[in-house]
Amino acid sequence: MSTQVPILAAENLGVRYGSFVALSEVTLSIRPNTIHSVIGPNGAGKTTLFHALTGRVRASSGRIFLNGRDITHVSDDKRVPLGIARSFQVTSLFQNLSVRENLRLAAQGRTPLRALAPWRGVDPRGSALAVADEVMERLELTHVSERAAGELSHGQQRRLEVGMAVAAKPRLILLDEPTSGMGIDDVEAMKALIRDLGRDHTVLFIEHNMGIVMNISDTVTVMRAGRVLVEGPPALVRDDPEVRRAYLGNMITGDIA
Amino acid sequence: MNRASLHFLLAALVAAALPLFMRSGTLASEVLIFAMAAAACNLLLGYTGLLSFGQGIFFGLGSYAVGLTLLHTSLPLSLALALSTLAGAVAATGVGWLSIRRQGVYFVMLTLAFSQFFYFLAYTFKDVTGGDNGLLNIPRPAIGPFTLGNSWSYYTFVAVLFLFVFAALQRVASSTFGRTLLAVRDNEERARAIGFPVRLFKITAFAVSGAVTGLAGALHALLIGVAPLSSIEYHMSESILIMTIIGGTGNLFASVLGAGFYVIVSDLLSSIWPRWLLLLGGLLVVVALFMQKGLWGLLERLVEALRSGRKSPVEAPVRPESEGRGI
Repeated sequence: MSTQVPILAAENLGVRYGSFVALSEVTLSIRPNTIHSVIGPNGAGKTTLFHALTGRVRASSGRIFLNGRDITHVSDDKRVPLGIARSFQVTSLFQNLSVRENLRLAAQGRTPLRALAPWRGVDPRGSALAVADEVMERLELTHVSERAAGELSHGQQRRLEVGMAVAAKPRLILLDEPTSGMGIDDVEAMKALIRDLGRDHTVLFIEHNMGIVMNISDTVTVMRAGRVLVEGPPALVRDDPEVRRAYLGNMITGDIA
Repeated sequence: MNRASLHFLLAALVAAALPLFMRSGTLASEVLIFAMAAAACNLLLGYTGLLSFGQGIFFGLGSYAVGLTLLHTSLPLSLALALSTLAGAVAATGVGWLSIRRQGVYFVMLTLAFSQFFYFLAYTFKDVTGGDNGLLNIPRPAIGPFTLGNSWSYYTFVAVLFLFVFAALQRVASSTFGRTLLAVRDNEERARAIGFPVRLFKITAFAVSGAVTGLAGALHALLIGVAPLSSIEYHMSESILIMTIIGGTGNLFASVLGAGFYVIVSDLLSSIWPRWLLLLGGLLVVVALFMQKGLWGLLERLVEALRSGRKSPVEAPVRPESEGRGI
């Protein structure tokens, strides 16, 4: 496995906001077809790392490779057709549009220029709609398909948030705290979903719920203060003294199960 | 019947009914011309969430383009109109391309700045545009076998074009393109995150809107035989925006209502009271405060009230809609 080309690699990645260093010298390598989680106290730079990897913020230094191809200077929307899709920590849906339309748009995002022709209608048998239906089925949202996304319950909105990334049929899927604000039952369902997604995608996810992280990850990266502290399989990370120190008194947002 | 065909039917009814209720073919033509301009503005405001003060530029350029073509060349009317449409589209692409580099207030200010810029350009180049006097004596040639000299025959011509343009805009609004615009309006960041090059979509929306507005400007110049400086003035952008907002931004037919209301009411009011704009201002305040879905929203509520057999609850509070969001 270790000789395989990583699906995503970051080399000495750094992000500065003005004089504030949010991310510094992060080197990361995601093996294909694995589930890779990123943990760390609040403010460790996890979301900034996601922003940089998806192109939402520009890297101040370092380089990013997707399947060996340098994508450091590729804009965020152009990374989607290359096979990266993400969900957000703070739910970000098309609130006034139906669930189905949300997912159809997300599926269309792979071939965005086909949507640019003002005379072309939405093909009722088109692939984007088929993908939307398939994702709704998978996320158990079919019964609310025609409801506006803004009217869904929190748990449903979080599932749809993940679905928006899934609908793009990415090779690499980035999930930013998929369980944030969820009730216990929903958390279990999300855990099962992420594990399931790991079968057809490479999954990189940020999570505070240690139960999920330690259970389903192949690799765990621990971050602190914008840097990678430790990286390795769950068992190794759990027993690392540095990690224990970093978390002492800091890990208020999740339970170590 | 689906919503789109219902709205088209309503638009056709308006075009057919205007001659029955109005004495002046000129005024009736004006209603449909501004209905086109307002619907084009709605594509930006209602569908894309862009409050553009640049609509007057495209309207004015359309007026000048048709005037200059007919005065200085021997091209037929159809080509002159096509050139005006093109002029509107090209100008809108340029203005859009530069303005959408900024969002919110700065976007609005940029369109406003361009509006002033083009006005002074038209004012300065008197040799071309006629400056303050406008471009005078624009002929209204026949189109094929049809002469358009009579004000009602011209109205028929405008009505046919109006219905064609309205159907085309409906097609645009319901296409994958139009539905992506709605997504951009709803959540621009997400639209970008799922892969859409948002700027390209906004520029294209501008181009379509500018094309239709340019055509409307040309038809207006043919109607009055002049391409006046006022067509490219900031006030024209404002009028088009007001029509769009009064009508409501939820669908394209609402813009027909808005334009009709604005044109007819200003005509009535201006004959009784020279300070009629004051009343129109008051009306805009009422719309902004109490009926954000505009006249269309009012109509919807009336129909609903009639259906349920109750009296219309005019004072009913307006549900907080997303109409006013995201400039």
